Parts: sequence; structure tokens; C-alpha cells
Amino acid sequence: MNFETVLFYLFAAVTVFAALRVITARNPLHAVLFLVLAFVSSAGIWMLLEAEFLAIALVLVYVGAVMVLFLFVVMMLDINIEQLRKGFWQWLPLGGLLAALIGVQMVWVLGADEISAGTTAVKHAADYSNTKELGRLIYTDYVYPFEIAAVLLLVAMVAAIALTLRKRRDTKRQDVNKQVKVRREDRVRIVSVPSARQVESVQEAAASNHGHTAD
Amino acid sequence: MLENYFPVLLFIGIALVMGVVPLVLGMLVGPHRPDEKKLSPYECGFEAFEDARMKFDVRFYLVAILFILFDLEIAFLFPWAIVLKEIGTFGFVSMMIFLAILVVGFVYEWMKGALEWE
Repeated sequence: MNFETVLFYLFAAVTVFAALRVITARNPLHAVLFLVLAFVSSAGIWMLLEAEFLAIALVLVYVGAVMVLFLFVVMMLDINIEQLRKGFWQWLPLGGLLAALIGVQMVWVLGADEISAGTTAVKHAADYSNTKELGRLIYTDYVYPFEIAAVLLLVAMVAAIALTLRKRRDTKRQDVNKQVKVRREDRVRIVSVPSARQVESVQEAAASNHGHTAD
Repeated sequence: MLENYFPVLLFIGIALVMGVVPLVLGMLVGPHRPDEKKLSPYECGFEAFEDARMKFDVRFYLVAILFILFDLEIAFLFPWAIVLKEIGTFGFVSMMIFLAILVVGFVYEWMKGALEWE
């Protein structure tokens, strides 16, 4: 048993342990942190397979970004854990059935001839670069899925903005666009105000006012 | 190839030891005389008064989602950059289309004001 095999079993054991804790942890926050651990140790396994770009992308994208989002959601949800555990026995048969289905599927797929236990990983030369191989394929042979990925990202972007963006009425916001576009006519209104009256006429007016009130 | 990553493994190992050993040492060697006050949750000088789980502004969520999307976008740039000479004009154009589609989204969110906090 060489060093790589030892490392594989180490990473695999940590992954399985972390994945188990994800579903058994009482506190959802702990579950999320264990999921992070599972991702990191999976990245270790991918690194052992010489898939270095994928391993680093897993850490960057999943651990760095997706799990932050998970933490936000868990914090935002305001979950009552006692309430969540209520229907455990009621839903157990359905959950068990789903688990059995997934188990059968996995055995089916992993037991296929293409992925039998006899196949071993291909040994590559020292200067082999998984990133280069990926690059050669993604942008030429798989160009349509690649562009569809861009469209998916665009849809996600628009959907996220449409769902969550709302303007708050109570904040004073500076809109530079509007400020620049504004014209003189929009802001300035010229009113012709009669200049000050003569003193006599004011007194006359006062007198007539008096007369009115006297009546 | 894997030999190149040995320093990283070493680093992870040392980081684990550095993190775990002080905790274990403190647990084994330090005195344990807990009382009610010591075990109570501490919140900067006053009573802890509410649950840690509170409602966030949904705006944080929006920023996180936009970050993930652009994070993915740059993840696609790395393999492209190192094989650009081999895949030629076709590869270049395919990446430009990819970027153009995402720039549409970028312009949209800029115009909508999703990048501003208010």
C-alpha cells in the first residue's frame, strides 16, 4: 500500500464521516460546516486523480461561494428545529423508499461494465495537465454546452435580480443619470411677482378692510 | 505530478496540528471549575437576549448569488487562457460569445441598480 492509497482512504473516510454528519447534525449550521468539510476532502480525492483544475474549482466555487449562500439561507430561514423533527416517523417509509431507489441506481451504475473494479486510472506523463485537456475540449468539441452554460448563468442572474431587488422608498438615493439629464426648464420656474406697492395704496386697502369689518 | 502538491498536503497537516493541539492541550492540562456564570453565553457585557438566527436583508443573498455567477464565469477563463494558442480563432470566438452573453446580464444588473446598496 503506497502513500497515495493511504491518502485516498484518509480523504474517503473524512468525506463519508462528514457526509454522515451533514444528515445527522442537529444544528443546521453544523450540517453546513460539515458539508464544507465533505467538499474539501472530495477536492483532495479529485487531486489524487490528477484532476487539479476541478479540485481547485470545487474549493473556489463550492466552498468559497455556494456554501456562503447556504449559510445565508440557513441563517435567513429562522428554522425551528423541534418543529422540523415532528413528522419523522410519519415520513420515514417514503424517505426509506427513496433511499432504497437511489441505492439501487448507484449499484446499477457503478456495477456497469464500463466502471468495473478492474479498471485502473491511466498513468500520465509528468508534464500532463488536466487543465489543458479540459481547455482543449470545452471550447471546441463542447462549444454548444459551453454557450448554454452562459445562457443559464444569464437566466440565473436575471431571475435573482427580478426576485429579490426592490427599491426602498424611505432612502434618499443619488441617481447620477437623472442629475446629469436634468434641464433648466425642469427645475427653474420664473414667476412674475408684482413689485412692492406704494404706501398710500396699502393704507387705502387697510382702510377699506376696516370698513368691511365694521359693517 | 502529485509530488508537486506535497507541500500543500504538508501545509494542511501543519495547519490541522496547529489548530487541534492547543485545544486538546487546554482540555487536558487546564483546570476545570465551571460555574453558572462561566457557562452562560457571553455577549459583550450584557445579557444575551435573542436568538442568533434572525432575518437578513434579502439584498445580501442577491450579492452572494451575483458573486457566484461571476465566480463561475472566471472559472471558465482559466483553462481557456492556457490553451488559447492551441484552440485558435474558434476557441477565441466561442469564449467571446460566452462573455458577450454574460455582459448582457452585467449591463442588466448595472442598469437595474442591483450593484448599489442604497
